[in-house]
Amino acid sequence: MNSPATAPAADEKGSRSTPSAAPASRWDPLPASEWNADAARHLLRRVGWTAKPEDVETALQQGLPATLARLFPAKAIPFPKPKMVAEIEAEEPGMHERIRAAAEPEKRQLRKEMRDRAQQGYQDLTIRWLQFAADPAHSAAEKWVLFLSDVYVVAFEKVHNPALLYQHHAILRERALGAAPALTKAVSRSPAMIDYLDLRESKKQAPNENFARELFELFLLGEGNYTETDIKEAARAFTGYRHRFGEFQFARGQHDPTPKKIFGKTAPYDGDGAIDLAYQQPAAGTFLPGEMLRFYLSEQPVPRNQIAELGRWWQGTHYNLRALLHRIFGSQLFFSPEYRGAMIKSPIQFYLGLVQDLSLDVPPLPRQAVGLLRQMGQMPFNPPNVRGWMGGRSWINSSTLAARRQLVQALFNPINEVNLNADEVMALDAARSEGRSRFTVSPDRVRDFAVASPQDAADRLVRAFLAPAATATYAGPLAKFVAGKSGETSPERVRAALLTLLDSPEYQLS
Amino acid sequence: MRTPFLPSTRREFLRYSASGIGLIAFSRFAPSFLVQSTLAAAPAPEKDRSVLVLVQLAGGNDGLNTLIPFEDADYHRLRPTLALRKTDVLPVGQNQAFHPSMTELQGLVHDGKLAVIQNVGYPNPNRSHFRSTDIWETGSESDQVVSTGWIGRYLDNCCSGAPVGHDPLAVHVGNETPEVFLSQQVHPTFGVNPYLLGRKDRSRNQALLEQLLQQPSTPENDNASFLKATMMDALVTERRVQGILGAYQAGTTYPGTPFAHSLEGVAALIAADLPTRVYFVSLSGFDTHANQANNHRNLLKTLSEGLAAFQKDLEAHKLGERVLTMTFSEFGRRPMENQSQGTDHGTAAPLFVMGSAVKGGLHGEAPKLNLARNQDLTFSTDFRQIYATVLDRWLDCPAEKVLGRSFEPVAFL
Repeated sequence: MNSPATAPAADEKGSRSTPSAAPASRWDPLPASEWNADAARHLLRRVGWTAKPEDVETALQQGLPATLARLFPAKAIPFPKPKMVAEIEAEEPGMHERIRAAAEPEKRQLRKEMRDRAQQGYQDLTIRWLQFAADPAHSAAEKWVLFLSDVYVVAFEKVHNPALLYQHHAILRERALGAAPALTKAVSRSPAMIDYLDLRESKKQAPNENFARELFELFLLGEGNYTETDIKEAARAFTGYRHRFGEFQFARGQHDPTPKKIFGKTAPYDGDGAIDLAYQQPAAGTFLPGEMLRFYLSEQPVPRNQIAELGRWWQGTHYNLRALLHRIFGSQLFFSPEYRGAMIKSPIQFYLGLVQDLSLDVPPLPRQAVGLLRQMGQMPFNPPNVRGWMGGRSWINSSTLAARRQLVQALFNPINEVNLNADEVMALDAARSEGRSRFTVSPDRVRDFAVASPQDAADRLVRAFLAPAATATYAGPLAKFVAGKSGETSPERVRAALLTLLDSPEYQLS
Repeated sequence: MRTPFLPSTRREFLRYSASGIGLIAFSRFAPSFLVQSTLAAAPAPEKDRSVLVLVQLAGGNDGLNTLIPFEDADYHRLRPTLALRKTDVLPVGQNQAFHPSMTELQGLVHDGKLAVIQNVGYPNPNRSHFRSTDIWETGSESDQVVSTGWIGRYLDNCCSGAPVGHDPLAVHVGNETPEVFLSQQVHPTFGVNPYLLGRKDRSRNQALLEQLLQQPSTPENDNASFLKATMMDALVTERRVQGILGAYQAGTTYPGTPFAHSLEGVAALIAADLPTRVYFVSLSGFDTHANQANNHRNLLKTLSEGLAAFQKDLEAHKLGERVLTMTFSEFGRRPMENQSQGTDHGTAAPLFVMGSAVKGGLHGEAPKLNLARNQDLTFSTDFRQIYATVLDRWLDCPAEKVLGRSFEPVAFL
C-alpha cells in the first residue's frame, strides 16, 4: 500500500508505471512548441467558461506554466458574502427564539416566513454567485469550486439555508488549492454538510451512517474500495458532530470514544482519524483525479493505467490539489486531439460562457437566470442528489435544448420590463445604479464582427465562439449566409448568423 | 384519417441537405427517427382524445375584482377606490358578477360553457410569486418542495411509452418551459416560442441552422453526433408546428393581442390532430400593486376576448367537446386595497374552466369578507380538488397517482 509518508517529493513523476507500450508519461508537461492558439482555447474553455480572443492572446504570451499559475494561484479570491445572506444569518438566532416562544398559529406563520426568506436568499445567492463567477478573473477558480461542490454535495432543497450554503462553498474555496485531506476534514465540519448528510442526528447510541457512507463512496474512494464494516465503524468516529447557527460544535457527550476497526486498523479514531485512514487507501489517489477528468476532460473514462499512474504521483504530493490541477491541465494527455471540442457544456458553463462571449452582465432577475438554468437542468447550489449532476449527454434533451435556444433568444432581445414584478423592477434599477446594465446584446457587439468581407466576418465568428475543430466546416455556410444576395456584409445578417451559431450543436460543445 | 406527418417530414429533412451529405452518412444516432420513418406500421397519433389547455394568469390575479360580490357591503368597505359600481358589473349569479370588461365570458356562463369555481386556494398560503407558483404547478403542499409538475406526473403515469422523437405530448407557448411539465421520465414536449413564430428572419435563421446541423465535425465525435440528432428532432417538430400554424384557417377572427395569437396557435395544433394532450399558455402582468384599475381592466378584457374567440374557433372546427380550458394564478390579492390604488399579494381567488363539456355557472363557496384590516381570504376549494377532477374525469388518469392522495372532486365536470 502506498503511504503518503513514504512517497517521493512533489514533482517526481511516477516513472515506475506499467511496462506498456505507452511512451514515457502522458502526464508530462506539454512541450512549449505545442502551446499554440488552439491549445490555449482548449485550456481556457475547459478550465473556465469560454475563451475570448483577448484571453487567448494573453495566455499565448504568458506561456502555459505561467497561465496555469495565474489561473490557479496559491489561494482563490474570496466571494463576498451577499448582503441578504448576511442578514438572514444575523436574523436566524432571533427568529428561532421567536418561533420557540410563539404559540401555534403564530408559530406556523413564523416558520413560513423563515422558509420564504430562505428561498429569497437562495435566489439572491445564486444571482450574486453567477455575477461573481462571470468575472474572467474568478472563472477558473469558481469552476473548480463548482467541481468540488459537485463532489462534496450539499443542496438547498434539503439544507434550506442560504447562509449555510454560502459558508459551505466558502469552506471549499478557502481550501480548494491546498491539501485534500484538510479540505475533507473541513467539509466534515461544514454545518451544511452536517445537516445535509444527517451528522447532526448521529449519536453515540445511534450512529447515523449516511455521512460515513458518502464519504467513502462519493467523496474519497469510490464503490468497491471499502467494506460495510468500514462504514459502520467510521460512522461511530463521526458521532457528536453538531452545529449551532452555522458554528461547528463537537458534542463530546454524543461522541463514541471507544476503539473502531477501520480499514483493518483499530484505535479510538475520531472523524479526522477516519479521514486520514481513508487517505491511506490507494483508491484515494485515483478517485478525485478520475472525477476531475470526467468533469473537465471527457465522459469516457481515461485508461485505468493512466489514472493509476496519476494517482500514485498525487499521493506523493500529499494530495496537493493545486499541484494536481497544474499537472493535469499542463499535461500532454489533457491536450490530446481526441479530447478537443468534444465535451457537452453544462448549463452553467453554457450560460456563463454566453455572458462572457457576448460581454454581458448577469441580470438580477431570478426568473430569467435561475429559471432558465432550472429549465436547462442545473440549479446552482442545488444538485439533484448526493451524487451531484450526471453531466455529459444527460444535459441534452429536446426540452433542455429548447431552453438553451430560449436563453440565446432572451439575450438578443431587450428585457420586457412591462412583464416584471415590482421586486424585479427594483432589483434591475439597483443593478443599473451599480453599473451593471448590459443585460442583452447591443448592436456594438454585433458590429465587432460586421467588418470587411463576409468570409472575414464568418472567420471571426467561428474563431471567437467555437471550439477549434468546428471552425473549418462552419465558416463556409456562415460566410454564404452573411453575404446573402448582395454579397456584402450587413450587421443585420451578422446578428442573425451569430444568433444561429450560438444555437448550433458546435456551440454546445467545449 | 390523416397519415402520421412526422416521418415523411423527417425524410424530407434528410433530403433537404444543401451540401448533399445526409445525416445517415455519419451519425450513428440518427436511427432513433429513421427507424420510425421506415416502419410501415408506425402507429397513427390517437385521435379524438381529450385535450387540456392551461392558461396561467401570472403575477396573481385579483379575484375580488374579477368575480365581484357586488351586493356585499364589506366589499365596498375594503375597496374604497377600487370597488366596482353595482350598475357597471355583469351579473353571473346571486350577488356575484363579472368585471365590466368580461362581456364575452359572461356570455359563456349564460351558454353553460364556463364554470367559475370560487375562492380556490390551499392551506397555509404562501405569498411569494416564485414559491406559490411552484405550489400550484407541482400540486404540492405549501411546506413541501417537489421537483415534478402535476402535468409531468400525469405524463409519467398515464402517457409513458411515447418514444423520444415522437410528436410532443405537451406543448407550451412562451419562452419558458413551465414547471407543470417537469417529469421523472423523459417525454416529448415542445415550446412554441412566440419570438420564433411568424417571422421571416427566423425561418431564414432556421434554414442556416439546419445547414449547420449537417456539417460534419472534424474530427467527428459521439457527442457532436448526439447533439445533431437531438437538435434535428427538435427542429423537425418546430418546422412541423410552423407549417401547421402557417396553413391554419381560424374559424373566427381573433383579437389582435399576443395572448389571443397564442391561443389561435393552440387551436391550430389541436385541429392538426397532434397527439398532444396538454397545452400551456401564459398571460402575465397581474401583479397590480399600484394603479390597478386600468391595468386590470385591460388584462381581463384580453383574457375574456381571447378565451371566447378560442372557444368559438374550436366549436367552428367541431372541437368544442374535446377541449377543456382552465385558468390558474399563483394567488389572489389582498381584499383590502393598499395606499397606491392597488392590491398586494393575497391568497384564494376564483378560477375558470371553459368548454362545451363543463357544467357552467358558479361552483364552490364564495369567500367571506367580514375581515379585519389586511386580513386575507380563507380558501373554500383546494386547487388540487380541481386538478383531481380534471385528471379523473377529463384526462382519464387516476388522480391519486398524480397528486399523492385523494381529493374530493368538484362538480364542474
